[in-house]
Amino acid sequence: MKEKETMKIEGSYLEGERVPNFKTLSGIEYKEVYTPEDVTGALELPGDYPFTRGIHKTMYRGRLWTRRQQSGYRSAEESNERIKYLLSVGQTGINMDPDLPTHLALDPDDPLAQGDVGLQGSSLVILDDMIDLYRDIPLDQISNTMIVEAPTSAVIIAQYLLLARRRGTPWEKLIGTIMNCPLTQFVGPTYQAITTFFPIEYAVKIALDVMEYMIQRAPRWNIVNINAYNIRETGVNAIQEAAFALAIAQDYVRRLIERGLEVDVFAPRIGFFSAVHIDFFEEIAKLRAMRRIWARIMKEKFRAKNERSMWFRTACQTSALPLTAQEPLNNIVRAGIQTLAAVLGGVQSIHTTGYDEAFSLPTEESHKLSIRTQQIIAYETSVVKSVDPLGGSYLLERLTDELEEQILELLKVIEDRGGFLQCFLDRWVEDQITKMRYQLGENFVSGQQPVIGVNLFRDERDSTKISIFRHSDEWQRQRIQEIIDHKKNRRQEPIQRALEGLESQVRKTPEENCIEAIMQAVEDGATLGEIMDAIRRAIDFKRPGL
Amino acid sequence: MEKYGKKRILLGKMGLDAHDNGIVVVAKWLLDSGFEVVYAGLYNSPESLVQTAIQEGVDAIGCSFLGGEHLYYTRRLIDLMNEKHIDKIKLILGGVIPPEDVNELKNLGVAHIFTPGTLRDTIIEALNNLFNEPE
Repeated sequence: MKEKETMKIEGSYLEGERVPNFKTLSGIEYKEVYTPEDVTGALELPGDYPFTRGIHKTMYRGRLWTRRQQSGYRSAEESNERIKYLLSVGQTGINMDPDLPTHLALDPDDPLAQGDVGLQGSSLVILDDMIDLYRDIPLDQISNTMIVEAPTSAVIIAQYLLLARRRGTPWEKLIGTIMNCPLTQFVGPTYQAITTFFPIEYAVKIALDVMEYMIQRAPRWNIVNINAYNIRETGVNAIQEAAFALAIAQDYVRRLIERGLEVDVFAPRIGFFSAVHIDFFEEIAKLRAMRRIWARIMKEKFRAKNERSMWFRTACQTSALPLTAQEPLNNIVRAGIQTLAAVLGGVQSIHTTGYDEAFSLPTEESHKLSIRTQQIIAYETSVVKSVDPLGGSYLLERLTDELEEQILELLKVIEDRGGFLQCFLDRWVEDQITKMRYQLGENFVSGQQPVIGVNLFRDERDSTKISIFRHSDEWQRQRIQEIIDHKKNRRQEPIQRALEGLESQVRKTPEENCIEAIMQAVEDGATLGEIMDAIRRAIDFKRPGL
Repeated sequence: MEKYGKKRILLGKMGLDAHDNGIVVVAKWLLDSGFEVVYAGLYNSPESLVQTAIQEGVDAIGCSFLGGEHLYYTRRLIDLMNEKHIDKIKLILGGVIPPEDVNELKNLGVAHIFTPGTLRDTIIEALNNLFNEPE
């Protein structure tokens, strides 16, 4: 009979009490020791091009990173309560996640959507939902990230702008981010996931519409956030995460320039959202390398003149992949270390993933602990009191150079293949991801990637219980009914007119910016699903269920 | 019972969740261990899975969940399997499923539930035993 994997792995470890390899998670060999010879070139100061050491001169001495925990579940009202709770314990920015039907632009009453309403985020369908979601929250004082991709982002931003207008908040004062990236925002660039309910080329076109519309009217708003986090969570390594994200950003920059926009007008409003995995130094080096590469691309390739166009500004989330269902309290330690890496990597905002991640959405208790983790690092440890404290470390500087080199190599492969979108359409991206997933499985089985309490030092007697967030079937039924009632009881004629207007515009001039037409439909009471189905009809796209 | 034939397992996700790292890796593990895998991918309805299960003549259906949708879809799938008289086909679940739902799902007739961190050999051994059980 085959020997149990854990026993095999443990046996081989305990023999030598050594880690299984001396490589980074992406396979770069750690040297036994680093010396001054490993550092080449002069080290610039923080705030100086190409910003290896940070985009600001004073970094966290001037202002701490934004504590921005993702939240969103069930109704807009309940999500609003959670947002207020988070702000009350010291969160400094909002990070709002809608549910899956909203992400995929399906109404809650759609037969395909009914099992997922309100589960992984909040159900946002009509303007009233947006009003409820941000009740009492000043849109010009707290920066608000909305985790939603094109095409849904067009409807969500329309709802948001209408909310601002009703409140009398000028659009130019809005601060926040719409993530807006159809290639990465849903679950990373896996093909079936993001092409089944909307065609990717037209989703990119709508993303560009949102960017163009916002840059001209809300200059403090971030028009796109390239979700490197989701790329990473598909199982790829740090080099692929960085190269894919930077390639996607270039696709958008090129297309915005083609629309006649000045690079220095829009580039300062492009942001990133990175993963911070468990390989401490590699993750810090990755963030430094990404800053350096982005600055050079923007300056040398796209001829940006404004330094802000060259800033690689990134939010981050501590990766959930290393977190485990076994001995869940261990996740508090993991997330704490990952959060420290993010801080030493010089990011702009952090979501510390909850220790209950392998079970459900975070409870209020878990959410608070994530914020406390960040506050302890910020206020107690002193690591924020000097800028880029690891700068000049022989190891870190060498690793930054090595990652930079490998990221650039992979970027060149993608560019030579016609850019990221082309690679995605050709299924090249899919192949890379699948290979890495199989590798992930292999490394887990072989123990090359040790996971404490799972494939190493597993304790079958462990029975740690933590409280877990519960969903409610009853609420789902009510919400579905609410939307059915809304559709029945509203004034139908203006909605029909607005939807027909949108459909006919997209059909006749598919390249024209569609945000105004969408805003009209939202204002008249149309739902997210109705608006997107009008566009789907106009471009002759048949989605499942229709 | 086809003692020497390869066992066929239909793998797929139901509903709108598209987190598929786990099911992709498990599919590979099953293939490597001598099972035949019919991979249905994402966005299946209970109806489409049952239809595929009948067409492909599978021995088991394996579904993976992440976002809390497991009870909703599993109840529907089991009702449909009973209705179509294919309740001989074993049902296996995986993914993010809170411990307190595991018993309820087993009472509904789910043969195995593999939550995150389950080892490869545990899964393979459980499936081998499942198919070798006397009817």
